[in-house]
Amino acid sequence: MDFNPCMKHKVIRKAVRKFAESEIGPLVYEIDRDARFPQEIVDKMRPLNFFGLQISKRYGGAEVDSISYAITIEEISRVCAGIGLCVTVHNSVGSYPIQLFGTPEQKKRFLPPLAGGERIGAFCLTEANAGSDASSVETTAVPDGDEYVLNGTKIFVTNGGVCGCALIFAITDPEDARRSASVFIVEKGTPGFSVGEIEDLCGMRSNPVSSLFLEDCRVPAENLLGRLGDGIKIGLTALDTGRIGVAAQALGIAQAAFEASVRYSQERQQFKRPISSFQTIQNYLADMATEIDAARLLLYRACAFKDSGRPFSAESAMAKLYCSRAATRVTNQAVQIHGGYGYSKEYDVERYFRDAKVTEIYEGTSEVQRMVIARAVLSKRV
Amino acid sequence: MVSELPWDSKTGTLRRDLAEGMMNPACSHALEAALQIKEKHGGHITVFTMGPPMAEEVLFEAVALGADQGALLTDPKMAGADTFITSYILSRAIKKICPDFDLILCGCYTSDSETAQVGPQLAEELSIPGVAYVEHLDIQDRTVRIQRLTDNFLETLEMDLPGLITITTQQYAPRYAPLSGLQDAFERNKIIRLTAKKLGLDSEMSGLKNSPTQIVDVYSPIMDKKNIILKGTAKKIVGQIFEKFDDKIGGAIGKDLKVGKES
Repeated sequence: MDFNPCMKHKVIRKAVRKFAESEIGPLVYEIDRDARFPQEIVDKMRPLNFFGLQISKRYGGAEVDSISYAITIEEISRVCAGIGLCVTVHNSVGSYPIQLFGTPEQKKRFLPPLAGGERIGAFCLTEANAGSDASSVETTAVPDGDEYVLNGTKIFVTNGGVCGCALIFAITDPEDARRSASVFIVEKGTPGFSVGEIEDLCGMRSNPVSSLFLEDCRVPAENLLGRLGDGIKIGLTALDTGRIGVAAQALGIAQAAFEASVRYSQERQQFKRPISSFQTIQNYLADMATEIDAARLLLYRACAFKDSGRPFSAESAMAKLYCSRAATRVTNQAVQIHGGYGYSKEYDVERYFRDAKVTEIYEGTSEVQRMVIARAVLSKRV
Repeated sequence: MVSELPWDSKTGTLRRDLAEGMMNPACSHALEAALQIKEKHGGHITVFTMGPPMAEEVLFEAVALGADQGALLTDPKMAGADTFITSYILSRAIKKICPDFDLILCGCYTSDSETAQVGPQLAEELSIPGVAYVEHLDIQDRTVRIQRLTDNFLETLEMDLPGLITITTQQYAPRYAPLSGLQDAFERNKIIRLTAKKLGLDSEMSGLKNSPTQIVDVYSPIMDKKNIILKGTAKKIVGQIFEKFDDKIGGAIGKDLKVGKES
C-alpha cells in the first residue's frame, strides 16, 4: 500500500492550484459579496477542460481518473467553493449520467457542448416535497405522441440560473412514483422551461442556485435518458459520483481554512508570543490536520474503488459524510483561532465557515449518507 | 529568495530533492515562445531538463502544454554539476536527441541560482550563435529577428538559424495546462530518460568533481542603509567622502583610487 501521490496527481494538483490561485483568487471576495456568477472565469476554464473532466475524449472531454477529478474539485474549492460547486455539479450529476446512460445519439448531441462548457449542466431532483425521499417527486411527464409534456417545479437547483441543459426527474405514473420516475434532458430555451429567482444563500453565493419551472414543457421522446422508470437507478448512480465531488469540495474548504489557521496562529501575537506557541492552539491545529488527512484518505479510497470498477456507493457515502463533517468542524475551529477577525469579512475563514455547512446538506444529507452506509453494513457489503 | 531554498552547506549546491519542484519561471516563458512558434510555423518541440528523477514533473507539464517530447537528463554522476558541466551535458543530449534542431530556447536564468550562464555556454558548446535576454522574436525563413531591452534601448538583432535564444519573463506569459493535456501527457509518456552512460559521458565527467566552479556560500545580501551627515567645510567633506568610501566610488567608476593616492 503506497500512500504517496503519483506524479500525475501531483502535477494535476499543481496545475489546478496555479490556475485557481491566479485567476479565481482575486475575485473570490467580490463574487461572494455580490452573489455573482463569474462568467469570465468560466470562459477561462472552458478551454482547460474543467467542464469535461469525466466526459470521454471522443466527445471533447478530458476523461480524467477519479482521483484527478477529486483533486481538481478540491483545489478549485480551496480557493472558491462556489465555483467548485458549479464545476462538480456540472461534471458529476449534470453530465456524467448522459455519459453513462445516454444513447449514442444523445451523447453525440449533448456531451460536446457540456464538455466544452458552452452549456452548464444541472441535476433537478429536489422539489418542495421531495429531497432525501426521491420517490416523492411530483413533477409529471405525460406522453403525447412522440413527446412528453412536463409539469412541475424544481427547487434549490445548483447552476439553475445559468444551466443550458438540465436533467429533470419526473414521474409518468403518480400512483407509482418510485417505479415510474424517469429522467429527461431539457435544454434551455425549450418553451415552458423557465428559471425562477436566484436564492439568497448563506454560502456558495457565487453559484446561481434557483428554482426551475416546467409549465406544459414539451420535450421530444428522444430526450428520455435511459429507459422509462430508470429514474431512481440513474439518480442513485449519479449521486454516488456526485458525493465524490461534494466530498472533494468539502475537503478543499477544510484545507483552505486549515492553511489560513496555521498562518494566522504563527503571525498573531498575544502575551508577547505567537498564539501557535500555546498548547490549546496546537491541539486545535493537530485535530484539524488529523481530520483533514482522514477525510482525504477516505475520499481517495472511494475514488480508487470507482476507478477499479468496484462498487463504491458506501465508500463514497463515507467520504462525503466524513469530509463534510470535517469541513464544518475545521472551519468552525478556524474562526475560533482567528478570534474576532475570524468573524469579520476581512478574513477568508468567515466565508469558509459559511460555505462548509451546505456540504452536510446537499447531494444527500449526512443522515442519508448514514442510511446508505448502514444499508451496506447490515448487508455485509462493507 | 535564493537563500530560503534548502542548500547543502557542505557542497554549496541546492538540495533539489527537498525543494518543491516547479518549472523555472523564465523557462516557462521560453516554452510559451516555442509553442507560439509551433502554432505559427509548425515544428517539433523537445524539452530538456537535468535533475533528479522528480524533475520529470516539469517535462510532463511541458508536454501537457503542447511540447512533443521531453528528455530528462538524470544520473547521480550529474549531481552538483555547475553551469559549465550542465551546458556540456545538455549539448551532448541535444546532439543525441535532436541533432537537426533549428532553434534552442532557454529561460534567461533560473530562479534558484540566477547565474544566466547555461544558455550562452550551451551556444558555445554547440558552436551556434546565441542571443540572451530576448523579449520578442519573429522567424522568417531561416532568419530570426530578435528584440531585447538593453540599457533602456530596444535593440533589434537578426540571427541565422540554427541558433540559441534565452527568453526573459517580460513577454510570452505562459498558458495554463489543460486537463486533457495533462491526462494525455501521462498516458502517452513521451519522456526520454538519459543517464550519463546513455550519453556516453561515463568516463568523461562526474558532475561536481569536474565542475570548474564551486559555490563557497549562499546568502541574502544584507542591505545596510544609513544616513551619515558629514560636517565641516566643502574641502573637508570631500576628503571625508573619499576616505570613507573610496572603494565604493572606485568600484563605481572602475578605477582604483588608492593607486592614485599612493603615487
